[in-house]
Amino acid sequence: MAPSRIPSRRPRPVLTVLAATAAAAALLLSACTGGSGASGAGDTSGDQLLTIPREDLATFTRNFNPLSPQAAPMTKEAVYEPLVVHSMADAKDTPWLATKWEQAKDGKSLTFTLRDGVKWSDGQAFTADDVVYTFELRKKVLGGLDYLGTVTAGDPHTVTFSLTKPFSPGFFEISNQPIMPKHVWSTIDDPAKFTNADPVGTGPYTKVEKFQTQAYELRKNPNYWQPEKQKIAGIRLLAFSGNDSANLAFTNGEVDWTQSFIPDIEKTFVAKDKKHNHYWFPPAGAMINWQLNTTKAPFDDPAVRKALSLAVDRDQIAKVAMNGYAQPADCTGLAHTYDKWRDPQLAAACTWTKLDPAAAAAALDAAGYRDSGGKRKLKDGKDFRLDISVGSASSDWISAANIIKQDLAKVGITATVKTPDWAAVVSSYEQGTFDTGIVWSNNGATPYEYFRGVMSKALLKPVGEKAGENYHRFGDPKADELIDAFAAATDEQKQREQINGLQKLYDADAPVVPLFTGPEFGAYTDARFTGWPSQDNPYATLGNRNTSTVLVLTSLTPVKG
Amino acid sequence: MRLILRNLGFYLVAFWASITLNFLLPRFMPGDPVSRMFAQSQGAMQPEQIAQMSKLFGLDDRPLWEQYVTYVKSVFTGDLGISISRFPTPVTEVIGAQIGWTLLLGTTALIIAALLGNLLGIVAASRRGGLLDSAFPPLLIFVGSFPYFWLAMGALYLFGVSLGWFPLRHAYDAGLTPGLNAEFLANAGTHLVLPALTIVAVTVGSWMLGMRNSMIATAAEDYITMAEAKGLSPSRIMFRYAARNALLPSVTNIGMGLGFVVGGALLTEVVFAYPGIGFQLLAAVQRLDYPLMQGIFLTITAAVLLANFLIDIVYVRLDPRVRVR
Repeated sequence: MAPSRIPSRRPRPVLTVLAATAAAAALLLSACTGGSGASGAGDTSGDQLLTIPREDLATFTRNFNPLSPQAAPMTKEAVYEPLVVHSMADAKDTPWLATKWEQAKDGKSLTFTLRDGVKWSDGQAFTADDVVYTFELRKKVLGGLDYLGTVTAGDPHTVTFSLTKPFSPGFFEISNQPIMPKHVWSTIDDPAKFTNADPVGTGPYTKVEKFQTQAYELRKNPNYWQPEKQKIAGIRLLAFSGNDSANLAFTNGEVDWTQSFIPDIEKTFVAKDKKHNHYWFPPAGAMINWQLNTTKAPFDDPAVRKALSLAVDRDQIAKVAMNGYAQPADCTGLAHTYDKWRDPQLAAACTWTKLDPAAAAAALDAAGYRDSGGKRKLKDGKDFRLDISVGSASSDWISAANIIKQDLAKVGITATVKTPDWAAVVSSYEQGTFDTGIVWSNNGATPYEYFRGVMSKALLKPVGEKAGENYHRFGDPKADELIDAFAAATDEQKQREQINGLQKLYDADAPVVPLFTGPEFGAYTDARFTGWPSQDNPYATLGNRNTSTVLVLTSLTPVKG
Repeated sequence: MRLILRNLGFYLVAFWASITLNFLLPRFMPGDPVSRMFAQSQGAMQPEQIAQMSKLFGLDDRPLWEQYVTYVKSVFTGDLGISISRFPTPVTEVIGAQIGWTLLLGTTALIIAALLGNLLGIVAASRRGGLLDSAFPPLLIFVGSFPYFWLAMGALYLFGVSLGWFPLRHAYDAGLTPGLNAEFLANAGTHLVLPALTIVAVTVGSWMLGMRNSMIATAAEDYITMAEAKGLSPSRIMFRYAARNALLPSVTNIGMGLGFVVGGALLTEVVFAYPGIGFQLLAAVQRLDYPLMQGIFLTITAAVLLANFLIDIVYVRLDPRVRVR
């Protein structure tokens, strides 16, 4: 299950597109009238609840089991806490239930020192046994963590994880695991199916109140270990059946903090109350790639992949398709989250990720794909055609695909944008039957997962066999050497060398065509709460469902009077 | 009685056919629940987690016929399994939490639309060529042919946002606890107005037209002329003589409507963020949640068949011709 440390780029719900015109007209209507009928608006008694909408859940089910991927919102953000909080916004690790940690010289063990004086919300003390038990339970229920040998409690405040092989990326998975109380969970017969209606956690807001199908509240944990940071009285979650109804509540000032997609946010939201309404879309999401199925000719030729990449106008895609919310990619393939790993020299000398249709045409000519009468021909004399697959729910990615289509037409290639349901698209990705397609990528705490997902031979599956990553089926043995060396390295200097090597290899191989770094959407009003993360103080993203969310919850201060 | 028994046999066959389709159709969809979840997270889930999810959900990879046997058994025992998209909540609980709202919204809208539509139809037919007869049908058909989404959005912004007469969302205010007290009922009532009235607005036209046309056909019958000749009052002829017979097609429609109420009103639920089965079904389909899909389809099938069966019985009572056959 999820060390869901990763901020995600959510697909826009299906009906959004359908409603777009209606919504636009309606927003104009509402813009003239302002926020009448706003129930929570303007409450500044100091006891106001932080109101958060869930545009993706029309109703709630009372399930606070942190092992469940469908746990109620805030289970892993406000009720249970990890050992260390990793923020994608500034790539920092904040000590949380653990105060410090150490990796052994040989990379084969990790030791965490636990914080003193932490209590569960029922008053019992938090100890190393809880950590050991959590990992036992997780392995039993979910499996995974193959690199993890044994977990032992040295004393009540020390836990040692011994690994079966040196594996530095394991730190993030281990340290982000929400820790569960042994005294509660050891009495449960089937923890996988336990809905945990009244959770006991170490988090700031653990008390579930007024749980209803479309709304519930979380109130203060009376035994929280940093009571000075529980400045807000509680959190209220509201359920919405789509972006439109959630955005209406937000632009009306009835909720405080959203991460649903808001079209044209400056006009529809910020302009309504310039003083209080803010947004911040840091490019903290995953790299979005245009993947070419390398088992099919001519996409097996890196020269062709680079030529196609040269034809793509990334600035146009970022500006038009992504509303200017995205950052165009360069030839290192690294998303902006990994800026500290980027090789500046290589990034400055990128060639094949810069728009240059003339160079693209020349490269295709040189590779043997000649232009005859405006149509480029494959080596067997047929027209150069390709399909671009995108799921029908992602209207922004569909526009990106259409821009690519127009760009390719300029170099004589006929592209067709195919937009069936995501399920059909993903199924063709998994089986390797697609032609080309727009796709997300792995987004871990380090670039390890990204490079593994686009160029490792180790996880390469033949066409027809279900793949979980590397859908484009590209593998380079040199990449595996570097990836393994990175995982085994214990100091950052060594890791950096491997990542530099991987970036060079990526530049040479062009395993996929990187397009842009997705934004992490987030908007808020500071009429009722202050202390939000921002460009100037990027301690967390504005996501309300990732691991840095707890940093925001413990930083906000209610506006009084 | 024999008629009812014969119908019952037919209903059993129909029930079997539909539960079998309910079982097969979802399984023809591409992919599996875990890869759908993975695809929807778009980079938020790591590939390693695919195996973990499959383990957690205990996905069924037995041969199809074995799954079918278990499924048929579960249909009769009422144990519909655990929802995957709401893991680990049982399907019955997921449906149970929503169906009340669906029934409330659906039946309220259906009853208002049917009563109002039929009444308008009768009056329009009795004053043929009058203002009601010439102005209302085109107007209602005009309103009814609006895309529902558009109409509902418009109503929401006009009456909810601009005028502030009605709440914008949900079945009742957040923080309120459901109970049989005046405060809660009044609150739930005001939340019901816009969703129900928008449905009424788009459906009332067809009720009215149907009733009006059927009334006009009936009014041409000999027994109506006979009644007129006897000197009965026009209103008595209209309501007691003509409307009673003209109502028969409407009764069928009400029965069908009642059955389909259970399927939920997806667009209403989306616009007004009203809880209900419609959105739940959409989510189940998108996430390929087989147990939940089966549970909802089963509920809808059963409701439609039950409603039809009841209408058959009522028909025997209402229409003597059916009894004679």
